[in-house]
Amino acid sequence: MKNIIIKLGALALLPSLLMIGCKKSFLEVNPQGETTEVLALTDPEAATKLVGGVYNTLYFGGFGNTTIGFLWVLANDIASDDADKGSTPGDFGDAGQIDNFTATSNNFIFNNIWSGHYNAIVSANKAIDVLDKSTLEASTKNRLVGEARFLRGLYYFNLVRFFGGVPNITRVLLPSEGNSVEAQTRATKDQIYGIIVADLEYAAANLPIKGEANAQVGRATKGAAQAYLAKLYMYQKNWQKAFDNSLAAISSNKYSLVQNYATVFRERPVNGQGGINNSESIFEVQTGINLGENAVSPLFSNGQGPRGRGGWNDIGFGFNTPTADLANAYQAGDTRRDATIIFINPTAAGNSAGTVLFDGFRIPSKDSVENERYSYKPYHSALTESPQVSNNKDTKPKNIRLMRYAEVLLIYAEAAAMLGNAGEATAKLNLVRGRANLAGSTGTIANIWFERRVELAMEQDRFFDLVRQGRAGQVLRAHGKAFVDGKHEVFPIPQAQIDLSAGRLTQNNGY
Amino acid sequence: MKCRKTKQKRFCRNCTVLFKPLFASVLVLLFSAVLYAQSDTVTGTVTGSNGNALSGVSISVKGTSRGTFTNNTGSFSIVASASDTLVLTSIGYTQQRVSVDGRTTIAISLASANKELDQVVVVGYGTSRKRDVTGSVASVSGAELAKQPVLTATQAVQGKVAGVQVIASGDPNALPVIRIRGTGTMLAGANPLYVVDGVINDDIRNINSADIVSLEILKDASATAIYGMRAANGVIIITTKRGKPGKMVVSYDGTVGIKEASNLVNMAGANQYAGYINEASVYYGSGDSIVTQSQLQNGGNTDWYDEVLKKGFFQNHNISLAGGSEKINYFLSAGYLADEGIIRTNDFKRFTLRNNNDYKITNNFKISTILSYSRSDIRNVDLGAFNVAYRAAPYVIGMQNGKYGNTSLSNNVGNPLLDQDKNDNSGKGDRFQGSIIGEYKPIRWLTLRTSFGVDKNNFRSLNYGYKYENVGPDNVFLTAGSNQLRNNSQLTLEESQGNRWVWDNTATIAKSFGVHNFTLLVGTTAEEIKSNSLGGRRINVPESKDQWYLNAGSSIGATNFSSGDKSTRNSYLGRLNYNLNDKYFLTATGRYDATSRLPSGNRWGFFPSVGAGWVISNEGFMSDQKLFNNLKLRASYGKVGNDGIPSSLFVPLATQNLPYFFNGAEILNIRIADLADPALRWEVTTESNFGIDFSLMKNKLSGTVDVYNRRTVDALVRIRVPGILGDPNNEYITNAATFTNKGIEMALNYADDISRDVKFNIGANIAFNKNRIEKLNGGQAIPDGGVGGQGTTTLSDNGQPIGSFFLWEVAGIFQNAAEIAGSAQPNSKPGDLRYRDVNGDKLINAADRVFQGSYQPKFTYGINGGISIKNFDLSVGGYGTGGGKIYNGKKAARGDFRDNIETSVAINRWTPNNTNTSVPRANVNELPASTYFLEKGDFFRINNLALGYTISANKLAGLKMQSLRVFATAQNLATFTNYSGFTPEISNGGTLNGGIESSIYPTTRTFAFGINVGF
Repeated sequence: MKNIIIKLGALALLPSLLMIGCKKSFLEVNPQGETTEVLALTDPEAATKLVGGVYNTLYFGGFGNTTIGFLWVLANDIASDDADKGSTPGDFGDAGQIDNFTATSNNFIFNNIWSGHYNAIVSANKAIDVLDKSTLEASTKNRLVGEARFLRGLYYFNLVRFFGGVPNITRVLLPSEGNSVEAQTRATKDQIYGIIVADLEYAAANLPIKGEANAQVGRATKGAAQAYLAKLYMYQKNWQKAFDNSLAAISSNKYSLVQNYATVFRERPVNGQGGINNSESIFEVQTGINLGENAVSPLFSNGQGPRGRGGWNDIGFGFNTPTADLANAYQAGDTRRDATIIFINPTAAGNSAGTVLFDGFRIPSKDSVENERYSYKPYHSALTESPQVSNNKDTKPKNIRLMRYAEVLLIYAEAAAMLGNAGEATAKLNLVRGRANLAGSTGTIANIWFERRVELAMEQDRFFDLVRQGRAGQVLRAHGKAFVDGKHEVFPIPQAQIDLSAGRLTQNNGY
Repeated sequence: MKCRKTKQKRFCRNCTVLFKPLFASVLVLLFSAVLYAQSDTVTGTVTGSNGNALSGVSISVKGTSRGTFTNNTGSFSIVASASDTLVLTSIGYTQQRVSVDGRTTIAISLASANKELDQVVVVGYGTSRKRDVTGSVASVSGAELAKQPVLTATQAVQGKVAGVQVIASGDPNALPVIRIRGTGTMLAGANPLYVVDGVINDDIRNINSADIVSLEILKDASATAIYGMRAANGVIIITTKRGKPGKMVVSYDGTVGIKEASNLVNMAGANQYAGYINEASVYYGSGDSIVTQSQLQNGGNTDWYDEVLKKGFFQNHNISLAGGSEKINYFLSAGYLADEGIIRTNDFKRFTLRNNNDYKITNNFKISTILSYSRSDIRNVDLGAFNVAYRAAPYVIGMQNGKYGNTSLSNNVGNPLLDQDKNDNSGKGDRFQGSIIGEYKPIRWLTLRTSFGVDKNNFRSLNYGYKYENVGPDNVFLTAGSNQLRNNSQLTLEESQGNRWVWDNTATIAKSFGVHNFTLLVGTTAEEIKSNSLGGRRINVPESKDQWYLNAGSSIGATNFSSGDKSTRNSYLGRLNYNLNDKYFLTATGRYDATSRLPSGNRWGFFPSVGAGWVISNEGFMSDQKLFNNLKLRASYGKVGNDGIPSSLFVPLATQNLPYFFNGAEILNIRIADLADPALRWEVTTESNFGIDFSLMKNKLSGTVDVYNRRTVDALVRIRVPGILGDPNNEYITNAATFTNKGIEMALNYADDISRDVKFNIGANIAFNKNRIEKLNGGQAIPDGGVGGQGTTTLSDNGQPIGSFFLWEVAGIFQNAAEIAGSAQPNSKPGDLRYRDVNGDKLINAADRVFQGSYQPKFTYGINGGISIKNFDLSVGGYGTGGGKIYNGKKAARGDFRDNIETSVAINRWTPNNTNTSVPRANVNELPASTYFLEKGDFFRINNLALGYTISANKLAGLKMQSLRVFATAQNLATFTNYSGFTPEISNGGTLNGGIESSIYPTTRTFAFGINVGF
């Protein structure tokens, strides 16, 4: 009997014995084919790649969360007197509301701009956090931190001009801190400017000069940081610093105007002039052709391309159309007019020329085209400029010029004028005018402001410029817009974000 | 198997804790076995209720391995002690226990079995008499399932079990959506757990219904909690056939039939269409004719649904042989099912092979094998292209002389016929399922069982898009131009593999102490699920099918992809059944469960349940009453979980391969921005159930009533997070919702043999369920159900059922300018829909949306009946639901202003001369989301009607057949519904956005003939 009991005992144990094999690690299963955060950071290149990941946020666009992409372009240009919403009248009501200043805080464009920028800022914070802990050699580390802070500064500069004071997020937050009072309380406009100054000053101090060994084309440089500092100080009316920083960029002698204005925006140089990363380019979003067609800002080109009414293979959605007011603003002989605006020819008997673009592409006349004018600067030629892998019109590899030397000259001119240095103001203003085939004028504030409009038209500068100059209401109301002073200088904080913050985030005045 | 010291330590702590009780109980039982002594010989006779001697009755002494049988005169003799209990078992009679009580001669009378109560039902990790079950378990016989010409057993269950909603699809290869007792989750899987012969899986399309003995549905926690973490949506257990000792039985069943769409939607004809669209142009546009006279004159009058639908051929053949000897039982079957579907180019074939064997190695050691192979071969249809038939302009000719009508010119949609012809989306699947089971009974009351099961599922999908042009000499269209074309042929191949293994080890101890009967089950299980896929895509692959390999295409732009998934589970389980005198029953179960899908700190969960049963009819005080043959009360309470979430939801992942160009060269980068909840935990459903089983009138009338309350806490939801956290989607998944499903289920069956030649049965069941979100703790209301440009149509919010429609409410149609002037819609015109201004602010905006009910039916019901008169048999089954809503998404979403409209819209539209209507004036734009598109989803359908004739055995003598039956059957014969779309059964939505009809496969109706032959 005893024997049997032992036998039975052993048998009863059997199932449990079999399971002794269950190591704890049996239940520790790593994600398959995915890199976890922990794994990613074991890569010796992780810090460098994380900074590259921040540059990648410059591609946020399409109709989704955006940084400097399609929705940002559209919102800024059509809010100004330079452009209308475009496309068909009923198309894209949310954009139409921005054009008319009837947009509410529920407009999804605001939420996508907000979310896209913070997504990018958080990735910069993460990169900086990892870099701070990394054992990289100091100069490399400081340069990489400088690049991340440059981009963060650029994004905060966008946010503060668009929304006013916003939450100050410069460290890595835990998810649980997402709607803490600290995180969701809006910093003042000046506090945000303070962050940007700190970031850009750090960048200016630690980034290489254009052309130096570490200054790969596409990375932020000292000159880029100085140019943005100059612009930022101009917004703060700190004319001396605006002057100093623009002067520093100019006297680096690394930049010069491209003689043919139109080629500034081309992908390929024409007769040795212009093309991507030309001598005038200070900071530019780098795009390229890859299999995934994801090294581009989606819809940047196609979203603003000429829209057909059937009968031809059109090249865009037709948004962001230059106004007649802009077209008429150019002085006679200004070469920038035809480089900025694609004019659609009216349909007339016997006229079948249409509009032929620089690459020979022919747009039919008006009855086959939705709008009368289109923006030329974002045009990307499928015929002569870097053909894509597929024919996907939405992913055209168009570099975006964010900061040009011409603008630095105009900042310099304005600062000089403000500081009473009329000679310098006139000299730099006329450099810009001369390139556009115009006679010289005097460097008055009015002339410089005018020059800014025509030089930087359709480059997301005009609306902020008008607000900065304190004449947005006057100019835009004259243009027929329902601009309300004290309200429309900034756009509303997205209602969705206010809701998510449990009301901690406050709304802008008047919304 | 080496584990590091620290890990081992940790593991051992777990194991010790678990196994202590196990050892303790085993030891107690072992010692009790030793305490028996002192035996004598007992003799006796056994008779039936009418006094006739019963032979072959099995008699055993409880708690020992001694046993014998009665002889021809019903006599027996066995060694037993004075205190022993004899257990008598015979097929057709109720098992009886008789205490020896010191007697040496005993006369025993056996009562005929109450079939219902002694029916054996399969429960988790074992079987049980129906009588012993304290939970809510429903059983459907395989014969009942195999009767219907459908692919899956679960589809055939529709209408047969109270509380089980089966949402069928007409798609030949569809796995029906099953909801047991309501919607039990928002984001984790909502389908029940399938257990096929003990092997857990999530897809039973490989199981031939003809191979099934029975299908059990476990509904409440007492029954399901043994499956712990995956039981929250109920459990469906399928048991396949095995051989029995005796002569070989060969049978063949064959069915052939025709399928067609059971409901169609009538679209406007060319003239109706032109009239409507051009009238709208007067309202909204220039007034110019959008559809011109010449277009009408040169065009046709196409009914696009006629073009894209077909009548499909259906056939199903099964042949099986079963038998066995003392040592080996075998069952071998082969099946072939072919279903062409009802959409042009659709086709499906399935071949199944099964071999289930039992090998009796010794008297107490048995090995069983279950092997099943299935091959599926499908050509899918693009339901998006099918949906285009709703939109395509009717004046465009579908196809003529091999050329297609150019619908992209008419209203910017692809010609659906061309889409069907120029795309080949097909796949071939091979699935192998097998288990090997060892069962050892070292002593009578102990069964040790180990089972290792594998499920290997390979699928090869092929997607070929033909090249075609819309201009030039190779133009495929009747009219050249526009935008439907494919410049390059494109081939995508993908091979995917699923592998899983499950290893179960259980010990079952069954012991009785006088009137106290115990069954204890303890066990462990481990499981691993892996899948991966590998595929590639190339362009310019030649059209010949012999060339459909990646190498035949262009290497320019070639892409490849590969991905994988893995998860593991480990569990310890136990169940104690206690039966006191066949009157009082108690079931306690527990499962200690772990999944790799949750973070290590929250990985283990304990899911207990307890159930009690009281057979009142067995009480002494009930012996005088004649009303109840059986009356049983049941009550249960337990916890179950749900881990049906993606494998690594709690792990923050880095986004890789983010390009940027530096110095003109692409550099790949990473970003860490995705938020994940590192504290993800189980979704836990706590369920209580109270039930009554009864039978009356000599067991002719039987019924069951169950009341339940299921409360799910910590349900996973996707919550939006503030943008400042920088998550790319601004959302993450966390445990943040509580909801309930409360309901009542009733089933009644009446069966009577009126005479030897006339027998009938009729049954009905109904179940009411109320789903309600109790609390979105920390979460927000979840909008979902986007339709076209209308935005979202559903909102899951506190106090509402999950996935409730949240819409503007139509309050009529503006008839004149005066009505408009005072309204909230000053820009409207007569004939426009008027929406209710809920907050009275003279604005119609988001604040005016109102909850309008959900897709979830408030009740589901079924009716089943059968009658046999001499050699004829007739059976009928019906199913219906009530209280659910359907959003007519295909009608609501207008992709183009020239899209076609339904005939009823064209005819009934508001015009100054037709003001008494609910249809607004002719309109070409997309209307906003409103109740105008919301319809009642109520329906009742005659699921199956079958008429059979069995040829008398005496006429078969010369044919070497044992049995022969011929039959005719109609599936989905008639549907009674007011819903205007293709089907009120919307199977393609999720839990948050169900009930939106768009791109759905129409319900099919099948007429078939068949034979059943036994050799």
